[in-house]
Amino acid sequence: MSALKCVKCGVELKPKKTMFEYLGNTFSHEVPVCPECGEAYIPQELAEGRMREVEEQLEDK
Amino acid sequence: MKQQEAIAYTERCFGGQPASCTSACPFGLDIRAFLEKTGRGRWKQAYRQLRNAVVFPAVTAELCPAPCRTRCQRTETGDEPINLSGIERAVVRYSPEKHAENYVIPAKNGKIAVVGAGLSGLSAALALAQKKFAVTLFDRADGWGGVLRTHANFAVFDADFALAYENETVEKRFGTEIKSPGELDGFDAVFLATGDGGGDFGLAASFDPELHATADPRVFLGGGLVGEDAMSAIAGAVAAARTIEVFLATGKASATYADLKKPDCSRYVDHDGEPSSPLVAESADGYSGDAARAESLRCMQCDCNRCMAGCEMLARFRKPPRKISSEVYSDEGAAPPYSTHIITRETYSCNDCGYCKSVCPEKVDIGSLLHLSRVSRFENGTSAPALHDFWLREMDFNTHGASFVSAGAGRGTCEYLFFPGCQLGAMLPEQVESAYKYLNAKYETGVFLGCCGAPAYWAGRDDLLNGNLRGIRDAWETLGKPKFILACASCDRFFRELMPEIETATLYELLDPNDFAASEPYAAAVFDPCAARDNDAMRGAVRALAARSGIAVSELTEQGKCCGYGGLIREANPTLYNTVVTNRIEASEKPYIVYCANCRDVFRSKGKECTHILETIFGQSSKNVTFIAQKRYNSIKLRGIMYEITGTPVRNTEQNPWDTLKLALAPEVAERIDRKLIGGDELREAIYNAENGGGAFGSDDGEIQCKLTRGALTYWVRYRKNGGAFEVLDAFYHRMKIAGTAK
Repeated sequence: MSALKCVKCGVELKPKKTMFEYLGNTFSHEVPVCPECGEAYIPQELAEGRMREVEEQLEDK
Repeated sequence: MKQQEAIAYTERCFGGQPASCTSACPFGLDIRAFLEKTGRGRWKQAYRQLRNAVVFPAVTAELCPAPCRTRCQRTETGDEPINLSGIERAVVRYSPEKHAENYVIPAKNGKIAVVGAGLSGLSAALALAQKKFAVTLFDRADGWGGVLRTHANFAVFDADFALAYENETVEKRFGTEIKSPGELDGFDAVFLATGDGGGDFGLAASFDPELHATADPRVFLGGGLVGEDAMSAIAGAVAAARTIEVFLATGKASATYADLKKPDCSRYVDHDGEPSSPLVAESADGYSGDAARAESLRCMQCDCNRCMAGCEMLARFRKPPRKISSEVYSDEGAAPPYSTHIITRETYSCNDCGYCKSVCPEKVDIGSLLHLSRVSRFENGTSAPALHDFWLREMDFNTHGASFVSAGAGRGTCEYLFFPGCQLGAMLPEQVESAYKYLNAKYETGVFLGCCGAPAYWAGRDDLLNGNLRGIRDAWETLGKPKFILACASCDRFFRELMPEIETATLYELLDPNDFAASEPYAAAVFDPCAARDNDAMRGAVRALAARSGIAVSELTEQGKCCGYGGLIREANPTLYNTVVTNRIEASEKPYIVYCANCRDVFRSKGKECTHILETIFGQSSKNVTFIAQKRYNSIKLRGIMYEITGTPVRNTEQNPWDTLKLALAPEVAERIDRKLIGGDELREAIYNAENGGGAFGSDDGEIQCKLTRGALTYWVRYRKNGGAFEVLDAFYHRMKIAGTAK
């Protein structure tokens, strides 16, 4: 797959620290973000891998 | 929730409590654990346990009258009770290590005189010496043993006493008779155990058997002097030693916690089906090691673990019921990050099928306890909404978008009201239509497409549940309080539990087998939904219909267990969900006849051949598995059909702009996405937004990825344009929210 671009802004995504929130907890992780509009992109491997693990850990707390 | 409220759910549970034999033992020996050790030939460990409880193992093995035999449940299978004394003798003989423990603790202040070196005096003196008090042991005889000095086995007992005392310093003043209390003035406490008819310093009349105390605060009595037999002399002296310790520390004799812990097992598990196991005879020389092990293995390890053995969730988390209730309570007060919840995953992993209660001799209901916890977590804001979000949105769809009520063509009220339930119509719309036509031809029947509220109940959402119940009651009253005809066992359960004022019957009871033709005969097993456990009429009616269809019906050995769907645990615990479903599927190699749309869906999605009873009489569905998108479509279609049949003027149903978007999915993609509980509506709306100026990400090969947040979930869809359709390549979701990029 070639480099992802933001459809609206037409520019390539750049990795950027992004804030996430779940069940009252906030944390940050670097994900591809549109440098123009700031929309973040979540890769499937991240959502179904590490993100799911953290989600489950927080649900158990 | 109050602590008592949670504890009350499991207080009748006797799992893990002392067995009946232990409650009869003068020493409260955990006989179950002891025989578990001896059954494995672990003589050393068994010896240590025995010595810690009975003080002098060889003496007890010989002299204990074994009252445990009178409470041994082995007799329930028509056999002799376990020969515990014989096993104790074997332990004494075979233990490779019998030396006493040597505890290094500092000496304590307190001089104690023990008068009489029989079993009572020896036990008290030993217990006090182990606590490192300065103990002086008097006896008028020239050695220890008291009345046992003339016993045929005294040499064995003598060796046992010597072993017990090998590490303790006790001043032994044998050959010394104490005649008056004045002789013991220098001692802080006195334990008198002078035997039956021995000197009592005139204190026997004031003897307090609970504390072994007397009118003289520093003098305690025990043994034959106060009528104790050999075993209670030992047990009593150990208790008296604890009281003396309290007396020396506080100046007042009082009972210790250990003395208050009197086991009382009045409740038993039954031993139905347990095979008989005859006594292993003990020869004159005693048991061989193998024979002692064999005799030990006759112990049935009487303890109740029925709920934990039968329920995958309880077995997986391995928490006994009493622990669950205390944790349900303590979770209430958890305040992360300072303290955390400890039973969240279990709470949302319960199928709420009632199996635990059904097998419990005391009817302990863990499912209801965990349900209480779900309700309370929602109320205090500590639930994880994502775990039930999908089903609550489905419920919203079924109670709004796809709901429909009519008394029937040309009627304002009706005698019966057919309530097929949300899932049956979504999966088998044609069969529901046929069933309604059948009912309406026989009875004055209206129709109500809606939801009983199970998803709200399982999410702990009393607010949504009560709102839905109000809607059902309103319709019921408007239509002249008809009798509800229910097709789903869960609806049946929730109607009975939550709306007992509404009269109900199940569809299957109203379908007369004689009205239907037999089909090709085949063999199948009936899988009863867990919610039908208490509804014999429903269970019987389904079997009659199956038999009429020509099915050779067989019964499953294990009944009343949930298919996996109950409690909606799939998101909270996918691994457990898969285990439960697999176990149910493997309960029989035969295809299943089911009468719950969810059982059908769950089994078919894992490749198990199964047929809904309505399919056997109204025709098979062409769909093997119904995907979420199709279910919603079916529900809407069924509503349209009901409009028509009942002659209800069609309302202008709201259309979303994305409803007409054409999707294309390869079969494996459709299945994969469906398993993630992502429906066509989410896909369409996400793509529609992306195509109409919403945010999206694209690559040069034409693939586009876009997102949509619905409820507690954020969905992502990867697609490309393919002619006039949108080809969906994959979809997924996450529960976290993107809160923005860092500065």
